Amino acid sequence: MTTYLSQILGKPVWNAKGQRLGRCADVLVAGVETGFPLVRAIALRNGQEPRLIPAESIAWLSPSIILNAVDPPVYEQRGDELWLARQILDRQIVDTEGRRLVRVNDLQLERTCPGGPYCLAGVDVGTGGLLRRLGLQAPLSLLFKFLHREPAEVVIPWSEVAPLQADAPIRLRISRDKISEMHPADIADIIEELDRPMSQALLQTFDNETIADTMEEIEPELQASILGTLPPERAADVLEEMGPDEAADVLADLHPTERAKLLDLMEDEDATEVEKLLAYPENSAGGIMTTEYVTIPMGLTVGQALDYLRHSPEAQEDEALYYVYVVDEERKLQGVIGLRELVLAPPEVPVADIMEKDVIQVGPLETQDEVARLVAKYNLLAIPVVDENNVMLGIVTADDALDHILPTAWKKRLPRFF
Amino acid sequence: MTWKQRMKPVAQRLLLFLSIMGPGLITASADNDASGVATYSMAGSFYGYSFLWAIVWVTFGEVVTQEMAARMGAVTGKGLTDLIRERFGVRMAFLVMLGLILANLGTTAAQFAGIAASGELFGVTRYLIVPLAAFAVWFLVLRGSYQHVEKALLFLTLYAVAYILSTFLVRPPWGLVLRNTIVPTIHFEPRFLLALLATVGTTMTPWGCAYMQATVADKGVTMNEYPFTRLDVIFGAVMGNVVSAFIIICTAATLFTHGIRVETAEQAALALAPLAGVWAKQLFGIGLLGASLLAASVLPLATTYAVCEAFGWERGINTKPDEAPMFYGLYTFMIMLSAAIVLIPGLPLFPLMWLSQVVNAVLLPAVMVMMLRLANDGSIMKSWCNSRLTNAFATILAVLITIATVVLLWDALF
Repeated sequence: MTTYLSQILGKPVWNAKGQRLGRCADVLVAGVETGFPLVRAIALRNGQEPRLIPAESIAWLSPSIILNAVDPPVYEQRGDELWLARQILDRQIVDTEGRRLVRVNDLQLERTCPGGPYCLAGVDVGTGGLLRRLGLQAPLSLLFKFLHREPAEVVIPWSEVAPLQADAPIRLRISRDKISEMHPADIADIIEELDRPMSQALLQTFDNETIADTMEEIEPELQASILGTLPPERAADVLEEMGPDEAADVLADLHPTERAKLLDLMEDEDATEVEKLLAYPENSAGGIMTTEYVTIPMGLTVGQALDYLRHSPEAQEDEALYYVYVVDEERKLQGVIGLRELVLAPPEVPVADIMEKDVIQVGPLETQDEVARLVAKYNLLAIPVVDENNVMLGIVTADDALDHILPTAWKKRLPRFF
Repeated sequence: MTWKQRMKPVAQRLLLFLSIMGPGLITASADNDASGVATYSMAGSFYGYSFLWAIVWVTFGEVVTQEMAARMGAVTGKGLTDLIRERFGVRMAFLVMLGLILANLGTTAAQFAGIAASGELFGVTRYLIVPLAAFAVWFLVLRGSYQHVEKALLFLTLYAVAYILSTFLVRPPWGLVLRNTIVPTIHFEPRFLLALLATVGTTMTPWGCAYMQATVADKGVTMNEYPFTRLDVIFGAVMGNVVSAFIIICTAATLFTHGIRVETAEQAALALAPLAGVWAKQLFGIGLLGASLLAASVLPLATTYAVCEAFGWERGINTKPDEAPMFYGLYTFMIMLSAAIVLIPGLPLFPLMWLSQVVNAVLLPAVMVMMLRLANDGSIMKSWCNSRLTNAFATILAVLITIATVVLLWDALF
């Protein structure tokens, strides 16, 4: 038996004797973290202050709201209730299954058996719910019949949504657990679409690593402003978690004094790497390269090389270990070998025998377009960046190289005029 | 330090300022779209300088409403329609949206009327140029290649400056101009009230408020940077209305004094004759075409976007038509209907251009009431609620507009 919140709000509430006590102004549920939060009380409005009636006194919510008592007791709030009309209806909510931001058009209340408790079952985000709220369902159903179509009924189970409320930190933490399991790119989309105070409040609840992963996926214009909303120490921690290339991009967009302050707060090791990258122009190979890559010394066999990698801190840091670069004592690039070749080769073979000695490489000042062209032409996943002495500086990964070449998607902003 | 290094902090500070500045200037220059020019030309040619005082008060009104919207955008980070839906519910949001669609449909039709009028100045029939322009706008915007054309069109809107130059060449009686700017004159006749409402409607639109709030929220302006935004709002409103005032002065000095009452684009173009001589028609035509095309390509898209956002429908031109049927449907509908209105045989183009603005003005009080309630709601605005002065001014304005509307309706009915 399904009841919609829109069918309850504003309806008269009758007691067991059939006397009218007032109108229903809101429905309170509790246990939001569970899939089926139970209805705790309804708020009754009768001119003055709303009066709360406990769920135990409710006999029916639909078709009419009828109580099982003549003079119901007053419900005492415990602080963990969610006011459905005031806090959820018409608000934005995250659909964690569909990974998008939706607006709540209506809420579904379910009762498992007659006399049993009511619980919040789902969130209606479809056009059907919208029409119901507007009272246009009946007149328009004819039109839909004529068009042989159904108004879209999109109901998301409550267990798959995360409510968002900047002013309710506890509830936000419950949502955080659901949201932070999503892919950083999806989180970034949601953060970009949310209004600023809300996105800030949500981000604050994430751990540094989640913020860092999300930041890497967010539009550059927004990155700087998000970083600005974090306390400086936290911002520095987030920058450390990010790839040095991404961190440098964000810092490059900041005001010089702000940038210096954050670099100062970062750990020295991370800060120097980022500073090195900041020295290169934004659209050059140096500007888009990362300093997270893996090298092995010369003269190793395949078995020794794999063993070396297992113990190499560089390899632990590198998130996408496609290539292993062979360098001499002066870090001059001697060759490259794919991880796949390395793993598949017999352990006693010297790396020097199977590595590619003629490495496709670029200088730090090479243009981004040229880097992208080389990456595309030679089907590379990453391309090394070396200085004039052939000393390795970093690598440009294929995604970063192609980032600026691909046509920028439609930005979710209003057109500029008007 | 080299010169370049020394200039860098200055340039950066300037960039910060410019990146926050903008929406105000842009909304204000939108005053001079097809309907704006038509409204002011009409007002100037019918009532001469005696209409100037209205511009002063409309400027105040624009500053007050736009500032309110900008502040709400900065505090909440939300759009106006979002706030209306969350505070007043879905029915109210639906009504406001319906009003916005209607008003913007009218304004878009006015832009197509502007396109038709400028076409007819060059001897091109409206039955050719309007469908062509409608298709071009529809296609270019959906293809996303609109940005390339935008700058060229923006440049064309600069023709409004020609009115300022033209005015100085005519040498109007500045003493009289000044007196009329300060001392209000009111004619109690329906036509004057209509002109007044059209002026209000073309300057302080509900749509302008929604746009202002959306851009401020979108840029992520915080309350620390808000003084810049407020400056931008004031500066933009003043600039836009100075140009409006010059259009009125120019038409008053050239046409009103010679007893010409503007009913067609041809007559309106005459106001530029002191500057452009025999080329006045061409100058006016090209400028009007540019301004109209620009507005016609943006208004339907932005309206559709706002509507879809408020109701949570799939939107954006990177979605496919079958993923976002409401978005594409509404967008196409708006362009087709407004172009079709203009193609009704025998429809006078120029009056359509300014009469469409009356719809905006009539809607304004309703939106202002909601804006006032939102901007005074402590749970939304925290410590940045409206000042008493703002409230008083906005309330008086809303009441006056309502009275003017009622008087007009009364007159039309009885």
